[in-house]
Amino acid sequence: MVERLITDIGGLPAGAVPREEVAQLFWEKHMMAMFNVLRDKGVLNLDEFRRAVEAMPADAYRRSSFYGRRLDAIADLLVEKGLIDRRELAARTDEIVRAGTRDHVR
Amino acid sequence: MSGNAALRFAPGDRVRIIDLGKPGHVRTPTYAREKVGIIDRYCGEFENPEERAYGRVGRERIPLYRVRLMQCDLWPDYQGGSADTLVLEIYHHWLRPA
Amino acid sequence: MSVDHRGHDHEHHRDQAQGHAHDPHPTREDDDVALSEGEAKFLALKSLLIEKGVLTADEIRRRQETNDRGTPHQGARMVAKAWVDPAFKARMLADGKAAAIELGIEVTEAELAVIENTPERHNLIVCTLCSCYPRSLLGEPPAWYVSKAYRSRAVREPRQVLREFGLSFPESVEVRVHDSNADLRYIVLPMRPVGTEELGEAELAALVSRDCLVGTALPGLLG
Repeated sequence: MVERLITDIGGLPAGAVPREEVAQLFWEKHMMAMFNVLRDKGVLNLDEFRRAVEAMPADAYRRSSFYGRRLDAIADLLVEKGLIDRRELAARTDEIVRAGTRDHVR
Repeated sequence: MSGNAALRFAPGDRVRIIDLGKPGHVRTPTYAREKVGIIDRYCGEFENPEERAYGRVGRERIPLYRVRLMQCDLWPDYQGGSADTLVLEIYHHWLRPA
Repeated sequence: MSVDHRGHDHEHHRDQAQGHAHDPHPTREDDDVALSEGEAKFLALKSLLIEKGVLTADEIRRRQETNDRGTPHQGARMVAKAWVDPAFKARMLADGKAAAIELGIEVTEAELAVIENTPERHNLIVCTLCSCYPRSLLGEPPAWYVSKAYRSRAVREPRQVLREFGLSFPESVEVRVHDSNADLRYIVLPMRPVGTEELGEAELAALVSRDCLVGTALPGLLG
């Protein structure tokens, strides 16, 4: 018997639907645009992206946020395709966290 | 298989959504597997996401159908109207005549 | 794993969301928000991809401008026109994408399926497997639409979910749920409210909120 995909949650028990409107942050909007550009260029496709989300460890999926999950899946895919290296991504992320500013990056 | 009209389902046909028992990326939700419904409409042919998800793009297009199910058939404890329905999109290879 | 540290100062926009029928999906300016780990990772990823020549900052910016054109108001315009023009309504039900293009709205998804509410049937849209939504038409979906609770429960107990949104229907009305699980994207064409015969298209569009297009609200009703 094949294990159920982590995203395959239709019909599973759950609590109340959270109704709070949550404003999309600028970086999240920017990331969606970047994702669209990568798709348009044929670097990755939507189905690969969904597959990458499904490959997340179940615990990480449950605790993840919507945009955090998307970011992790995009990064995982780009590593898989050999376009970026996980260590250089971690190093660059650290640099930015330590700088504590987004000014020079955009 | 693509373009073979003899294998095509028509609206109103009774179909079973089977469980292919296939690992990896699929778009057939577990809740709908091994359920019987009716073809709502033929949606056209699309690339198979089970192929595209692994970088195999530009391959054969396969028929996609909207399949309609009765909610009381899907959920043993369904709380709602007896006429309530659910419609979802199923690729050809997940369907058998019922 | 990217964790959302944004638990702090949400305003409760619930009343505003229902009252402002077609505000574009609100984006917080992030100048007042501390740099989160998620944003830092995104900025790192973006800068690496630019350095490696995979894409340019300009391409991202241009695509973002295109994406910004998606708002619920575009969907509301289509509904209003369908209410006043039966021939347009027929075209919209046959091919939502072509109908949108008639109004100068560029829908980029493969197909836009328009599902009509009737006195006998109320429709509700969900994507149980992820968050499929007609973004090029409507912009980003609301947080509740992509929540695990909605994705799990909308298919199994739609009437209970609808009650949470303040809607209930007699058992004689069929509630039909559409799981947007493959290539089509959906909007609901709600029924025109009674007593709106004198209203023009723009006024009619103002009655149609984002949630009306998903099936969790009815036009012209607040709260």
